This record gives sequence, structure tokens and C-alpha cells, in this order.
Amino acid sequence: MIDFVAVEQGLALLFTSFSPWMVVVPGIVIGLIFGATPGLQISMAMAIFLPMTLYMDFVQAMLFLTAIFTGGSFGSGIPAILMNIPGTSSAIATAFDGYPMARQGKHNQALGVALVSSVLGTLMGYVILFVMIQPLSLMVLKLGPAEMFAVILWGMTLIASLKGEQVLKGLMAGFVGLLIGTIGFNELGMARGTMGQTYLLDGVPVIPAMMGMFAASELFKLANKGFIVESKASRKVKLGEIFQGFKLAVRYPWVMIRGGLIGVFVGAVPGVGSSVSNLLSYVETQRRDEDPASFGKGNPKGVVASESANSTSEAGSMATLLALGIPGGGATAVMLAAFAMHNITGGPQFIRQQTDVVYAIIFANFAQVFLLLVIGLLFIPLLANIIKVPMRYLIPSVLVLAVMGSFGLTGNMTGPVTVLVFAVVGWIFRHYGYSVPAAVIGMLLGAMAEKSLLHSYQISGGDLAYVLERPVTLLILALLLVSLFGKRLLGLVRGRKTAAGA
Amino acid sequence: MTANKRDYGDLLVLMALAGFTLWYLLDAIRVSSAIQNLLLILPLSLVVLAIVALEMGMRLKKGTLLVREEREGEPLHRTLPVVGLFAAYVLSLETLGFDVATVLFIAAFLVLKGERHWPLLGGYSLAFGFGVAFFFAQMLPYPMHMLILPG
Repeated sequence: MIDFVAVEQGLALLFTSFSPWMVVVPGIVIGLIFGATPGLQISMAMAIFLPMTLYMDFVQAMLFLTAIFTGGSFGSGIPAILMNIPGTSSAIATAFDGYPMARQGKHNQALGVALVSSVLGTLMGYVILFVMIQPLSLMVLKLGPAEMFAVILWGMTLIASLKGEQVLKGLMAGFVGLLIGTIGFNELGMARGTMGQTYLLDGVPVIPAMMGMFAASELFKLANKGFIVESKASRKVKLGEIFQGFKLAVRYPWVMIRGGLIGVFVGAVPGVGSSVSNLLSYVETQRRDEDPASFGKGNPKGVVASESANSTSEAGSMATLLALGIPGGGATAVMLAAFAMHNITGGPQFIRQQTDVVYAIIFANFAQVFLLLVIGLLFIPLLANIIKVPMRYLIPSVLVLAVMGSFGLTGNMTGPVTVLVFAVVGWIFRHYGYSVPAAVIGMLLGAMAEKSLLHSYQISGGDLAYVLERPVTLLILALLLVSLFGKRLLGLVRGRKTAAGA
Repeated sequence: MTANKRDYGDLLVLMALAGFTLWYLLDAIRVSSAIQNLLLILPLSLVVLAIVALEMGMRLKKGTLLVREEREGEPLHRTLPVVGLFAAYVLSLETLGFDVATVLFIAAFLVLKGERHWPLLGGYSLAFGFGVAFFFAQMLPYPMHMLILPG
């Protein structure tokens, strides 16, 4: 499983010269800033700084880009906690409990929990990658479109049923979201639901829609409040409380390990990655918890589940990139461009022939996580001051950032208009009890779900028996059913046993 | 906010969701009725329409279809001015430019929410509005429409 000669060579690559390390700290800082600024994506940061890697050797370039990735993964959780704006789709579930914690004046602990979960998550992910890179690459090859569709369906149904008391509204929001996600050209070049507008041909811009539904609609709701945290005493930034958050995170090792495992394996599925893993981990943690009703109201386990999963997803998507040369998302797509710039092609051959380079990248990431801990600690007090700002200043400022960021994503007015439209939709959804997260995730996954289903149809020739020949698909579908009805069935069985015993 | 007053909002949202779903399904069928085009859209639309019907049926049975329920947050009409202001901001970006529109939006928002410290209001609107517009204009690879600052 582990090639020890390559391990030695990998270490030599990293430690014979100091130059590979010179780019790590700037990379983490860039990632933190871009991740923490709503609208600026990690992939955008990597794309902007990609040309700089031309002047670096391959290992140094990869260290720089993975440092941005690592910093950004944690950075995106900061606005999710402080402003309910996930910096990226991988931090959506962080906002579910992180933001309620901030509103209760526990923002320091929430940020501490997020930092430690990110650090340990990234570490766990790369340890798993180190041990599993070769078997994982073989496993990823076995995942076809049917499995991907099943994963999406599983995630979607779980998310839609998050709000136990309003399952129907959750499902409606999620499925309408899925439909919106399919607007525009499909794989066959047919344009649906565009109303003749050319800017909808590529579909509804999902990130601006997400910004509108999550951030702007929430800000509308808070428009008549004085501060995010009403109590003055609770608005202080205290390093001691951040450390309390550290302890709080470590108190839930199983939540972290589960999140880590979900993160690595879902992260390794191309195109799914951290956007889904953080949600799956969150939902699983909530489902298994003794008090599922406490989730969404400031339960730190929700933050641990999300941050550990999205951080380990980095390692998962790196596995796919290194082993197959397939990018799992925007960030790894930029890394693939860096591969091309250095005349390197990812894939099984790359792993076999340049194992030392692969191990060097993994070892460098072990060190990066500790640097993230230090740099993150320095940055948190600066960023946590946001909650001291009165809402009348914070709301227009964040709305402006969302509008500018959305313009940055689309390059035209489509982004800002999308933010506006979905802000109004989100505002109405919130008011009438429809699940905003379900709708957003639906939009994120709509096109992917349709593509996976279409590919499965093409491969199977429309024969449903094809599904029966795919054990992994069946397993995921079984998990879906267990997740939905397991508790109810267990309750029924227990009820019958009790009745029989009486 | 629990009251037995009539509220058509919930019913309107349900109708809007059903309306959108039906329109989208018909549009997709109009484009092509090939299985490949409707593979996901047709079953999903039918499921949404069925859920809407189920929800309406359940609420009709309970007699709660038009009854106002307890909701989170404030009544919609109290937030409407903020939503209107944000809409005006977004729709004025192309005319006033990102710089001037942003400054005006922040200033108008502060006035709306009761800020009466005029130097602070003016200073913050100008500094933040121009600062952010300039930052993004420098960072982004596309031209941003500006009225005063370089785009």
C-alpha cells in the first residue's frame, strides 16, 4: 500500500531546499482572504494566482495551490458563521449551526470549533490519502453515473427532510430547486426554460442564486435588528473562548471521524465533492444524534460535522485528480491547469512513475494544517470583529459585497440580477417555512443529476435491470431508504415487541 | 403571531410553485418530447405537482389552508422597503455605475434605518462604496461600469 522508497524521496524533495515552503504562508493567507470574502471563490483565487506558478517548479506550484485550497476551506466557514453567508458551497452546512451559535453570542467558540475541525479534518484527509491513494483510485474508477445519481438523490432527500415537521415543504423546495438546476442547455443541446434569454442558456448562475437565497434573504429578515448579537457583553472577541471552541470540537471525535470519512469518499467523486459532503455529514450527524431537534439552533456538532467533511474533501478530490487526472470541482480544475502548465498528466501512470512527488504533496499538506492553525488563530480575532458592527452598517455592506462578488462570477449583470431574484424568493421561502438549503442544494445538483441519469440511461439502453447489476447503486439506495424510514421502522418493531411483551 | 386571520400568502406560494413547475414541464416538452430530454424533468415535475396537491389537500382537510400560521421573523410588509431599496440598487447599477450606485445605496439604507450622524453616514458611504467598487474593479478581469472611478 505504501511505497517507502518513494516516501524517502518525497521527504528529500521537500527538505533539501527551503524554497518549496516559501509559498505556503502566502498561499494560506490568500486562501483565507478569498474564502472569507463572500463572492470571491477559492477557485477564483487559484485562477488569479495560477500564472505565478509558471515561475515555480511543480512541487512548489502544488504546495502554493494546495495552501490556497486549505486556507480557503477554513476561510469560507468564517462568513458562514458570522454572517450566514457560506463563502463557498462547501460551507453551507457550517452556517446551519455556526450562525445560530454566533447569534447566541458564541461566535468565538463557533470559530474555534470550525478551525480545529478544519485542521484535524484536513490532516485526517491527507493521512487517509497517504494510505489509500492507490486503492482509492481503483475504487473511483468503479463509480459510474448510476452511483452518482444515487448519491445525489440520497443527499437531496436527506436535506429536504431536515426540518422534520415540514417534510413536504422541504421536498417541494428541494425538487423545485432540482428543476431550476436543469434550466438551460442539457447534454443534448436542448435549451429549456430560458424564456428566450441568452444569459440563461448556461443555466441559472448557482453561486449568485445561493448568495441571494442564503445571505440577502437572511439579511432582509434581520433588517430591523440592532446587532447580529443583541447582548453587548456577548459581542466581545475572546481568545480564551476560541480555545474553548477547540476543546468543544475535540469532544466529538466520532462526529469528526464520520465527517472525515464522508468527506474523503464523497470528495473523491468527480463533480460532487465538498458541496455534498458537508451536507451529508451534517445530516448523518443530526440523524444519529440523541437530540436531533437541537440542530439548526446552534449545536456545535453541526459545525464539526460540516467543517471536518469539507476539509477532508480536499484530500478526496486530490485523490481523483492525482490518480485519474479528473478534477472534482473548480479548485482542482485550476490545479489540473497547473499540471498542464508543467507538462504533467495526472492518472494511474503519474502515481506509479512519480510517487515521490505525490507523497511530497501529501507531506507538505501535513505541515500546512499546522500553519493554518497558527495563521487562522491570528486571523480570527480580526475577522470576528464583524459582529461588533451595527446591522444598519453591516447589512448594506454585505449586500454590496454579494452584488459585486456575483458580478465577479458572471462578468455581467446576470450575477447581480440573480442575487436580487433569489433574495426575494429566499425571503418568501423563509417566511412561509420552505427549506432554503434544500432549494439551494437542488439548484447546485440539478444539472449533475440530469447528466448522471442520462448517462445511466444511455449505458443501460433504458433497461431498469441495469440498476440491479450495480451493487454500489443498490447499497446507496438502501442507505437512502434506511435514512428515511429506518427510525420509523425501528420504532414500529419496538412498539410491536413491547405490545407482544405486555 | 398565531391568529385566525385569513392569509392567502401560503396558498399563493403553493400555487406559484405548481405554476412554475407546470410551465417548465410544458416548455421542456415544447423543446423536445424525447425521453432523453424529459428523463428527469417529467417525473420530478409530476412529483412536485403531487406534493403540492397533497399539501393543499391535507390543509384543506385540517381547515388551515387560509389560516395564518406562526412564522419566524417579522411580517413581510415591514421588510418591504429594504427589499425595494435593494432592488433599486441592483437595477440602477448599469445606469449609475457600480461606484455611485453603491455609495447611494449605502447612504439611503443608513437613512432608512435611522442613522442621523451625518458625517459618519456620508464618510462611511463614500469610503466603503468607492473602496469596494475600486477593489473589485482592480481584482476582476472584466470591465465594471463606473461613473467616476476607473472601470
